[in-house]
Amino acid sequence: MTDLLHIGRDVPRPDGADKVGGKALYIHDITRPGMLYGAIKFSEHAHARIVRIDTSRAQRLPGVRAVITGDDVPEVRFGFMRDNLALKKGKVRQFRDEIAAVAAIDPDIAKEAVDLIDVEYEPLPGLFTTADALADGAALIHETDPTGRPVTSNLVPAACSHRSGDLEAGKRASRFVAEGHYTVPRIQQASLGTAGCIAEFDLNGNLTVTAKTQIPFLAQRDFTNALRALGIKDKNVRVVVPAVGGAFGSGLDTHAYEYISILLAWHTGKPVKILYDRYEEFAYLSPRQSAELFIRQGCDENGKLTFREIEVTQDNGAYVSWGATYPNVMLVAATSLHRVPNVYFNATIVYTNNTYCQAMRGYGNPEVTWGIETNLEELAEKAGIDALEMRLLNCNQPGDVTPMGLNLQSCGLRECLEGTAEALDWDRTRSVSRRPGRGVGMAALINVGGGGKIYRSDGSGIILKLDDFGNVNVSYGGVEMGQGLHSALSLMVAEAVGVLPERVIINQTDTATAPWDVGTHASRGAFMAGNAARIAGARLRERIFALAEQVYPGEVERNLAALGEGEGLDEFDFRSVTRDGFDLRNGWLLCKDAGDEPWLRVELGRFLRAAHFAKEGGTGTMFTEEAFYEPPTDLPDWSAGYGNMSAAYTFGVQGVEVEVDEDTGEVTILRMVAVTDGGRVLSRQAAEGQLYGGIVQGVGYALYEEVHSSEGRILNPGFTDYKIPTAADIAFPIELQWVETNDPEGPFGAKGLGEAGIVPTAPAIANAIYDAVGVRIRDLPITPEKVVQALAAKVGE
Amino acid sequence: MGFEYHQPSTTAEALELVARFPDAEIIAGGTDLMVRLNKTRRVPPALISLRRVQELTHIENGSGLRIGAAVPLRDVATHPAVAAGFPALVDAIRVFGSPQIRNMATLAGNLCNASPGADCAPPLLIYDALVELRSAAGVRELTIEDFILGPGATALEAGEIVTAIRVPPPPPAARSIYLRKGRVQMDLAITGVAARLEMDGATCGAVRIAAGAVAPVPRRLPRTESVVAGAAAGAETWARARAEAQHEISPISDVRASEQYRRHLTGVLVERSLARLASTNGGGT
Repeated sequence: MTDLLHIGRDVPRPDGADKVGGKALYIHDITRPGMLYGAIKFSEHAHARIVRIDTSRAQRLPGVRAVITGDDVPEVRFGFMRDNLALKKGKVRQFRDEIAAVAAIDPDIAKEAVDLIDVEYEPLPGLFTTADALADGAALIHETDPTGRPVTSNLVPAACSHRSGDLEAGKRASRFVAEGHYTVPRIQQASLGTAGCIAEFDLNGNLTVTAKTQIPFLAQRDFTNALRALGIKDKNVRVVVPAVGGAFGSGLDTHAYEYISILLAWHTGKPVKILYDRYEEFAYLSPRQSAELFIRQGCDENGKLTFREIEVTQDNGAYVSWGATYPNVMLVAATSLHRVPNVYFNATIVYTNNTYCQAMRGYGNPEVTWGIETNLEELAEKAGIDALEMRLLNCNQPGDVTPMGLNLQSCGLRECLEGTAEALDWDRTRSVSRRPGRGVGMAALINVGGGGKIYRSDGSGIILKLDDFGNVNVSYGGVEMGQGLHSALSLMVAEAVGVLPERVIINQTDTATAPWDVGTHASRGAFMAGNAARIAGARLRERIFALAEQVYPGEVERNLAALGEGEGLDEFDFRSVTRDGFDLRNGWLLCKDAGDEPWLRVELGRFLRAAHFAKEGGTGTMFTEEAFYEPPTDLPDWSAGYGNMSAAYTFGVQGVEVEVDEDTGEVTILRMVAVTDGGRVLSRQAAEGQLYGGIVQGVGYALYEEVHSSEGRILNPGFTDYKIPTAADIAFPIELQWVETNDPEGPFGAKGLGEAGIVPTAPAIANAIYDAVGVRIRDLPITPEKVVQALAAKVGE
Repeated sequence: MGFEYHQPSTTAEALELVARFPDAEIIAGGTDLMVRLNKTRRVPPALISLRRVQELTHIENGSGLRIGAAVPLRDVATHPAVAAGFPALVDAIRVFGSPQIRNMATLAGNLCNASPGADCAPPLLIYDALVELRSAAGVRELTIEDFILGPGATALEAGEIVTAIRVPPPPPAARSIYLRKGRVQMDLAITGVAARLEMDGATCGAVRIAAGAVAPVPRRLPRTESVVAGAAAGAETWARARAEAQHEISPISDVRASEQYRRHLTGVLVERSLARLASTNGGGT
C-alpha cells in the first residue's frame, strides 16, 4: 500500500470548525416545540427503606406538568444485570438513587418542584467497603436477583478468572519474586459536555430519544424494552446522537435519567429534556470503579518471567453496569503484557452502597497495568536487572499467541521500548543521581486495537451513498465524541472509494439511517468503520467500473468535443476499456494503463449524473453500498478467561522524567515521551490528539484525581475539589513517536488508539518517582502527601 | 424568580440601597457570590453592584495605598506601587484563580467571602492592612483579624459595605513574599504563607508571618515570629521557625489535604519564605 493518497495525512478535523465556532449542536443546544424540562429527586440516604413519598406540594407548583414516582408508573428495569429501576421502589441503595421526577415548563420550576417532594426514609446500615460487604452476616444490598430469586451474598455474579500453565511450577522455577497490593480510586470521566437527553413520542406512539450515548443501537434495544414495560409494543424507537463533548465510557450504558425522560414524555405527551449540570454529573453519574489488586510475579536468575498471579477486588457500588466486566478486559494485560507463562487471574466484584460505577477509557486496563508495570520494576530491582532490559527480555513478538489465546499478528513493542529508552537517554539517566530528586521511568502497554468482543457481535455496518455530484454520504452507527473518528473515517472513505476527503460527508449518527453498530468503545470506532468502509468502497468501485464500460466512452467523446484533439488518441482505444482497466482517484475516473491526459479523465460527478439520468433506454442507476464488518474474533469464555477477543492489539510505551521535591512531596513532570504501535497512522492530528488526551488524563489519574466519599456520599462533586490537570499543569513537552506496524487485519494497517494513551501513564510516573527518590507508591493518586509519608517511612527504616 | 439589580454610581447611593434592601447581596466581581447563589439557588431580593461606583474603582497612592472595593485583582497586581511595596500581594494574586477570575474578583470580595484559605488575606495581614467600612452612620476601620471572624463570617454590620482596603506604607528595608501550594496550578490553597522580614545585618529584625487554610481564619503566627525576630539569620533559625509554625497552627483534614500534611507543608513554606527573604537575591522586593 505505497500509493495511499490520504491515509496518514496531517489534515484538520472535519468537525473542528463547527465545534470551535459554536455551530455544532450539543444536547445543551437542542430544544423541541412544546418541550418540558425534567428534574429528578435523588435519595438522601445511601441505604434506606422508602416509607412514604409525598409529592402533593410539588404537584401544586404552577408550571409543573407531571410528578411521578416508582408507584405511579410501570416498573422499568434496566442495567447490565437488570438490577436497576428507573424509579426506585421500596428501597434506596446509594445516595444518588432516583426516587421521583418532575416535568415542568422550565428547568428552574422543575428543580424547585423536586425540592418540594418529601420523602420519609427508614435508614438501614450501609456497606461502604468491599470487606464489609463480603463479611459474614453482612446485610444484602439486593435481597433478590432481578427475577425475584433470593441471593445469598453481595457478590456480583460476573465471574472472571484465568489459569494457564502451572502456577506452582512457575513459582518453583522462580529465583526472584515480587508481590504487593496496588489500589486505584474511583475517578470521574470529567467530560466537557455534561449528560442529557430529550425523549419524544409522535402521535403514532413511536419514540425518538436524542441521547448523549456511545451505544445508539444497544440504547435502541434498551429503550424498546422500556416501551414493552409500559405496554407499548411494535413501535419504533429511534436514537439520534447530537454532537458529543466527550464521553470516555460514560455513554456505554443507558441511564436512569434517560428512562425517566421517556416516562415523563409518555406521561405528558410532550418532549421532555433532562440535562445534568456539573454538580449532577459528578454526584449522579457513575465514575470508574475503584479496585484493589494483589500482584505477584516471578522471574528466573536471568530475568525471564516465570509466573504472574493477580487477584482483583472491585467495588461495584449499588448496581451493575457494563463496567462490571472490566476484569474481562484486564485479562488482556494480565495474561499478555510481556511473555509470561503460568498465569493466574481472578476477579471478585462486590456490591456496596457506594455510587455505582461504569466504564471509562481503558476499561480495566489502566488499573491492571498500574499493578503489573509497577510490580515488574520491583521484581527487576530484586533480580538486579535493569527494568528496560527485563522488558526487552520478556518482550511480546509478532506472531505470538498468548496464554489467553490472543493472536498478536502485529507487535511493535520492542521498537516502542527501544524508542522510549533512546528518547529518555535511558542508559545515562536511569538510576543515576545526576541531580537529587530527578529520575526517569517507563511503562508498557498492550490494549485491544481491533475491537474487544464482550458482546455477541462486535460488528459495525456502514452505508456509502454517492450523490449526483461526486460526494460520498456516510451513514455509520458509531459516535464522534471528540476523539476524531470523523477525521480518520473521512480519510479512509476517501481512500476506499477514490474521492477527496472533503467530498466525504459523515451523517449525524441516527439509528433510523445507519446500520447496526455495537457502540464506540474499546478503541474500536476507526478500526471497525474503516474495515466496513473498505468493503463498501470496493463494492462501489466494482459497480462503477462495470458501468463505466458503457458510460466512459461517451464521456470521453464529450471531453474530446470540448478540448478539440486529445494527445495520444491514436495509441489508446478508449472505447474498449474493460472494468479491470479503470481506476478512481480523488474523484476522477481514469484508465489505469493510459496517461493522465485531460481528455481521458472523467469527473466522478459527471459520470454519476450520466449513470443516474441514463438516456436512450437506460434504466438509471444510483450508487449506494452497505457493508457489515464482523471482526474475526472470539467471544471469550470468561470463566476460563480464554479467547482471541480482538482482531488486533495496540502496543506502546510511555517514558517520563520527573523531579520530586523531597520536602513538599510534589512531583513535577519534566518531560514525557510516548512511543506507540497503533499500526499505520490514519489521521495524524486525530492520532496525536488521542495520545495527548490520553496522557493528560493519565497524568490526572496518576497524580490528582479521586472521587472522595464518606458513607457513600460524594464529597467533591465539582471541579473545585475534583482536580484534573489544566494546560497550566501540563507545562512539559510530550514527545510522540509512532511505530507504524502494518496490521494485516487493520483498515489500511491501522489499529485502535482511543485508550492506549491513558494506560501506562501512572506506572511510568510511579517508576520515575522511585528512580528519583527511592519510594514506591502503590496507591493512586500519588499525592504529595503520600510521597512525604513514604519518604518519612524510608528514613525511619 | 428574578431579583432587582442595582448599579449605583456613588457610595451614598449604594448606602441608600443597602438600607432599603437589608437582605440584598453586595456584588463586585461576583466570582464567589454567583457560585454561592447558583449552588444554594437562593434568590436575594436585590443585588447591589459596586462596579460603577466611581470612588471605589481606583487605587490611591499616598501615604500607603487605598484600594477601592471594586478594583479587580488584575489591576491591583499590575499597579506599580503594589509591585514596588507589596510583592507578597502580587504573589498571591498571581496564583489566584484564573486570568478570567482575576479580571473580575476584588480584594474586598476576597476578604468578605471570609474563606480560611483566602489567598489575599495572609499578605494583607503582614502588611497591617485595614478594612474600611462605611454605613449611613459613618466610617470605621478594622484590622483583618477583627474583620474576618470565622469561615464565611465577617464583622460587616447591617447597612454597611466595605469601601476600600487600606495598606500603610511598608518599612523601607522590609522584604516580603507569599508562597502557596495547591493540588494543581489552579486551585484553592492547601496552605499559604506570607512573610515579611527586615534584616539587621546578619540578624533578623522585625518579622511578620501569616498563613491561610491553617485555622478557621487566616492568621498571624506570633510564636513563630518570635522565634525569628532577633535570631541569627540562617538555616538553624529557619528550621526552628518551621517547627514552631507546625505546632502553632490548627488546620483541619479535608479532601484537599490532611491536618498532618498541612502542618508539614506550612512549616516547609515558612522555612522557605524566610530563607528566600534573607538570601541576597531576596524573594519579593
